Amino acid sequence: MTAATTTHGGSRTPGFFDALAPGGARALFFLSVTAVLFLFAFPVFWLVLTSLKPGWEVFYVHRSTEFTWGNYVDVLQEEIVLNAFINSFVIATAATILSLAVTVSSGYMLSRFRGPIANTWFGTIYLFRCIPYISWVLPLYFVTQWLGIFDSYLGLLLPHIAVHICFFSWIMKGFFDGIDPSMEHAALIDGCTRWGAFRRVALPSAIPGIAALAILCWLWTWNEFLFALILTSHNTPMITVVMAQFVHELGTEWNLMSATAVMTMGPALIITIFGQKYVIKGLRI
Amino acid sequence: MAEVVLSNVNKRYGAVHAVKDVNLTVNDEEFVALVGPSGCGKSTTLRMVAGLEAISGGTISIGGRVVNDLPPKDRDLAMVFQNYALYQHMTVYDNLAFGLRNRKVPEGTIGKEVDRAAGILGITDLLKRKPRQLSGGQQQRVALGRCIVRHPKVFLFDEPLSNLDANLRANMRVELKQLRERVPTTSIYVTHDQVEAMTLGDRVVVMRDGWVQQVGTPLEIYNEPRNLFVAGFMGSPPTNFIDVTVAESDGKLYAEAKNFRVRIPQNRDAALRPYVGRPVTLGIRPEHIVLGEPAPELEAGFDGGINVTEQLGSELLVGITAAGTEIMVSRIDPQQGLTLHESVRLSLNPTHLHFFDRDSEEAIV
Amino acid sequence: MLLLVGPAAAVLVLFQIVPILIGMNASFRSWALYDPTKTWVGLKHYIYVLSDPVFMTVVLPNTFLLMFLSVAISLVFGLALAHLLNRDFLGQRIVQTIVLLPLMVAPVIVSTMIRWMFNDQFGIVAVVWEGLGFEPMAWLAERWPSFSIILFTDVWIWTPWFTIILLAGLKSLPREPYEAAAIDAAGRWRVFTHITLPMLRPVMLVCIVIRSIDAFRTFDQVWVISAGGPARGTEVFSVYAYIEAFQNLNFGRGSAAAVVGGVIIMVVGLLMYRVLNRLMEVSR
Repeated sequence: MTAATTTHGGSRTPGFFDALAPGGARALFFLSVTAVLFLFAFPVFWLVLTSLKPGWEVFYVHRSTEFTWGNYVDVLQEEIVLNAFINSFVIATAATILSLAVTVSSGYMLSRFRGPIANTWFGTIYLFRCIPYISWVLPLYFVTQWLGIFDSYLGLLLPHIAVHICFFSWIMKGFFDGIDPSMEHAALIDGCTRWGAFRRVALPSAIPGIAALAILCWLWTWNEFLFALILTSHNTPMITVVMAQFVHELGTEWNLMSATAVMTMGPALIITIFGQKYVIKGLRI
Repeated sequence: MAEVVLSNVNKRYGAVHAVKDVNLTVNDEEFVALVGPSGCGKSTTLRMVAGLEAISGGTISIGGRVVNDLPPKDRDLAMVFQNYALYQHMTVYDNLAFGLRNRKVPEGTIGKEVDRAAGILGITDLLKRKPRQLSGGQQQRVALGRCIVRHPKVFLFDEPLSNLDANLRANMRVELKQLRERVPTTSIYVTHDQVEAMTLGDRVVVMRDGWVQQVGTPLEIYNEPRNLFVAGFMGSPPTNFIDVTVAESDGKLYAEAKNFRVRIPQNRDAALRPYVGRPVTLGIRPEHIVLGEPAPELEAGFDGGINVTEQLGSELLVGITAAGTEIMVSRIDPQQGLTLHESVRLSLNPTHLHFFDRDSEEAIV
Repeated sequence: MLLLVGPAAAVLVLFQIVPILIGMNASFRSWALYDPTKTWVGLKHYIYVLSDPVFMTVVLPNTFLLMFLSVAISLVFGLALAHLLNRDFLGQRIVQTIVLLPLMVAPVIVSTMIRWMFNDQFGIVAVVWEGLGFEPMAWLAERWPSFSIILFTDVWIWTPWFTIILLAGLKSLPREPYEAAAIDAAGRWRVFTHITLPMLRPVMLVCIVIRSIDAFRTFDQVWVISAGGPARGTEVFSVYAYIEAFQNLNFGRGSAAAVVGGVIIMVVGLLMYRVLNRLMEVSR
């Protein structure tokens, strides 16, 4: 049967708007939606606006009429900013690719296996998910120095992957839980090894989930701040750290800073507009 | 008076016309069963009566009052859902009391009503439990309790027994009938199970593809089906249909098919004479075919080969190839020794022949 | 099976377990980043941290306050928004995109945006504020206004998370209890409290616990907006540990603070789960 609608109100679960007269309900609804949109969109809009204003106009953003791309040009000519963008991009991409390999198999194991080893893994991951970042990033500062990988790509990649395992194994587990295991049983009867069943049957079915995970993973790494702050110095600037430094040191140059911020926000905007469906998939717990 | 009248009721979902011109009067305290295959519009019709679906066309009135624009809570009815729809986190007592509390009935009265309903349904011991601690049958009784506690004008049932296993379903059917004795109320009962419809309904409404096919008492529907669909849908095992041609010989009419020639009784002459030379569909129920040679003047015998036998213990069901098609014969003595592929002589009971126009599928009367 | 987990386990051991052990080890030593010797000092750092008035009277309360308020406000708004979005209307796609935005942008960026908006001379908020006739307010110069901005930022970022998850939850609720309630003459509010909330309880609980544990370790927003100021008034636990380790260069103390915080949040997380489970039972 096709989906039913209630006679009064159009929502599937009765909302409090239905108590009002139809005209009043619609008005209140649109008002609320508009208010919410405004609240969420305005800061972004304001930032973009500020980034398009030349330096002296920044103080009267709401009143000025000049627009310029100059800020973007200036900012991109700063070597540190350019480097930071490149580094962040490389790290995010590399970390995603490497993490996926490990997280997917970890998630598969959490989903399909029981028994002492699986339970220990489960507990370990859960535990480390709860530990505050600061608690392990402080000593990581030393670990990376001892290993000689401080302030380098490797020094950032490996810790990120470690965090990814803890966070994203859950999401992968969720996806694998949603795939019927009887297909894999059929494959086993048909002569596959456990690994073969995973590779040939489970993995292809999980591709939408893996895509969602990849997007979330990439974005999370790109946006990450604390690790970048502590584990890098002059050699490997990361864009989030550079941003924060702008705020504290170049406090009066809001136009330049907002241009940098908008560019940093770029991937997020693109992904939100085009990859929405994947993001929402990945956010379900 | 709690009469429910549906007048030219229609329901459209965009381009889909789910319920088409339903006209039905449910008399006061009458129990009407709506039956039909999935997607025939029976549930939609019920939900329009309940107020859970908007009515696209026509009117529905309860107790003489048109209720098209009234919300469900103002229509003075109660409903039992297929999935029970109990409030999971409330006790059974609170489930029963919920509707009364929302209507600001004083707690003392609520207590009495709940006790009364629980007594009738035998769930007094369960009042303090939560739904998830109850079995399917118990949950359904609580759902029934929710109905009777408010003394509404109309009861609506949406396939309430479909989630129960076969034995429980049979028991609940009996309990429903007993409930009807104690609390006679105008009722509309939707089901896809024709056994439930036949056993429970004072009258049965057969629906298909949004149209009402036939309205009548169970026996009327069974013995005088108005079209091919009703004949085939009601009754188990289903009616046998044979493609025959009407032929005339010596002023007598015969139904003819491959290796099949049966005399059409005189009282059907007038109806079938216009069909001489044309194909029609013959319908005969499995219990109206017997093994053996009929009385010669009936000319109602034919041969067939046995395909399959199904032993039920109480009777034998035999599938036979005859007249160019497969026929089911029932109520054969379970001790009867029959072998596969054996050729047997059969005869049909000529007073129970049904004829249907090949194109319109309407019964020829 | 071990093959599946082997590489992951190796990375995990090296980059999580080992550092944590080092951290705990460090917390018991006099370990300054400028001082090569790491002499064992026992619980000296822990005593320092736990008796540090700033930690006990400012940092911990701040952290808990931020955690409770942020989660509570985001939950309420998230639930309301989820209800709002639970119907089909024109432009739903656009609304959904905008609602997703705060989650996708880096917290550092969000904090920057909001800090710019609240700039006491040129920020848009100041302009509107004074335009409405109020006295100019130095938002970041006082403790509670600063805290409020940080709280606002956190709520801004995380309300959408609640919204998306609760919306999915709402959409998956069965239809029949609502229909039964419609026949039972239940008013809108009663339907919400007696039917929607109890059915959403499991989802809400998980959200609350996860989000609370995350809120406790907030760093980015606080660091960018106020750096823990003014005068350490908005410092939260992770900022405290960071400052001790990398500004005061006392690695041992920073580690001790980090361990203390870690233990607290694990205990609190467990307690919260139990309490909330009990609290959310509604029978009437």
